[in-house]
Amino acid sequence: MKSTISLYIIALPLLMLSCDDRNTAQLAPEYLYDAGNQKVIKSIINNKKGTIAMLYGNDLALENASKSLPKPNIGANYTLVTWKQKPMPQWYGTKMNGEIYSVEHLKVVQRNATQFAFDYDFQTGKGYQPGDGRPEEQQRIKFITSQRAAVFP
Amino acid sequence: MKKPGLKFYKSAAVVLTLIFVGMQISSPDIENPPVTSEIVAPADVKQILERACYDCHSNEAKVEWFDKIAPASFLIKRDIEEARSRFNFSEWDKNPAGVQELLLWEMVNAIEQGKMPLKRYQLAHPGGKVSESELAVLKKYVNTLPGRHKVDTARIVAQPSSSQKVSTPKTPVSLNGIPYSADYKNWKIISVTDKFDGGSMRIVYGNDIMVKAIGKRQLPFPDGARIVKVVWGKQAEDKEGNVLPGNFQNAQFMIKDSKKYSTTEGWGFAKFDGLDLKPAGKTILFEQTCANCHRLLAPENDFVFNVPTK
Ligand code: HEC
Ligand code: HEC
Repeated sequence: MKSTISLYIIALPLLMLSCDDRNTAQLAPEYLYDAGNQKVIKSIINNKKGTIAMLYGNDLALENASKSLPKPNIGANYTLVTWKQKPMPQWYGTKMNGEIYSVEHLKVVQRNATQFAFDYDFQTGKGYQPGDGRPEEQQRIKFITSQRAAVFP
Repeated sequence: MKKPGLKFYKSAAVVLTLIFVGMQISSPDIENPPVTSEIVAPADVKQILERACYDCHSNEAKVEWFDKIAPASFLIKRDIEEARSRFNFSEWDKNPAGVQELLLWEMVNAIEQGKMPLKRYQLAHPGGKVSESELAVLKKYVNTLPGRHKVDTARIVAQPSSSQKVSTPKTPVSLNGIPYSADYKNWKIISVTDKFDGGSMRIVYGNDIMVKAIGKRQLPFPDGARIVKVVWGKQAEDKEGNVLPGNFQNAQFMIKDSKKYSTTEGWGFAKFDGLDLKPAGKTILFEQTCANCHRLLAPENDFVFNVPTK
């Protein structure tokens, strides 16, 4: 019992000294994606696929996503960046973006005087496994263009 | 030089004894105020908390005889007072339901990271540690709390109600002087999250200084770094598994200025609730609640959770 007290007393200064050697995290800037001048439309979680994504767009795309337009703005450019989820290291209770899985670009272009067309492109990131299938283009176009913008103050 | 004689040692011993005895006289008593509203939790969960946490975070502290001896008693009293001020299992209803839930998740994290119970307590009370299997019990429990699967089913509101809009035309300012500003909409994204403990999804923005610092792997982050986290509810999952943002809930700011915000680890904290951006907190003490949790759990990242790390 006595030894416990002295332990408590001796341990204190030791602990106080040892508090300083806190280890510092290793930052991983390669997980960031630079969407240039495109603005945020919204984020999308998919727990079935274990991914989390950001949909960005230029002003014309943002307008598509904010208003119910009869047809999409020509010149709208979208970028959908998808990351693999990972547990947040310091908080059990949050999943965050880890390695980039894919980057999809979509442009609404003029086909002729009356019609528009879509220009879609799928790029893989480090988190993409060779066996993972590619998404079906028409479905992705529909998915991206149907997204409504998240509400901001 | 003459060596100190027997007389010197004798008087030194007397002085030390007097100091020790004096300390015992002034040694503080640890009082246990009445239990007003004890936490309600399943028996296996409660048992763990009682054994490992109640000595500090409740009004049922079981103080061992050796804890009553100065100078240990002073330290223990201080620990208990501080611990009770953070949260008290005997006065649990003082916290709104949402805060209770968040605290329980914070407890799981504090244990997982080995921060609680305090190391100095574990050394003196060898039975105090929480084992891996006990932590698993607590984790399982927090996953049953109502916020865990909260779905935002309300109609999505895009504008503050008109009365509020007219009455608050000016910029909202946090109690510690930090104004709301929409600059972040032009910043880069440093993190995207699914916070399943309270049922929300978040986008975290960093200004140029913050993003450059991450690029250079620079820690701690330099003065001028700014972070804004925007929080939405989560809509119900669709057939493909997609979960989309529901209503806007709040925007939270962290602004680095190591001198100005030295009492909160160099970060100025602010939170603006709802579309009318009502500054959070009743008094300026609110910023300490923010800093307490960030300080306990994210010291390795300069108190920032949302940074990309290996
Ligand atoms: C020896 C006393 C002691 C014991 C035992 C103890 N704590 Fe604490 N706890 C403290 C003190 C003191 C603080 C204030 C922060 C600090 O000093 O690190 C604190 C802070 C906390 C916080 C941070 C609250 C905030 O303000 O954000 C959490 C969470 C916590 N304790 C959880 C626990 C849990 C869970 C247990 C049991 C497994 C436990 N503590 C046991 C003394 C104790
Ligand atoms: C109970 C613990 C806790 C409290 C209290 C708390 N935070 Fe946080 N904070 C977190 C966690 C955990 C995260 C990361 C998780 C997430 O965003 O999904 C976070 C993230 C943040 C971020 C994004 C940057 C970062 O560190 O990741 C900001 C800004 C922030 N909090 C501000 C605040 C403000 C302002 C308050 C007070 C009004 C506050 N926090 C109170 C735990 C806490």
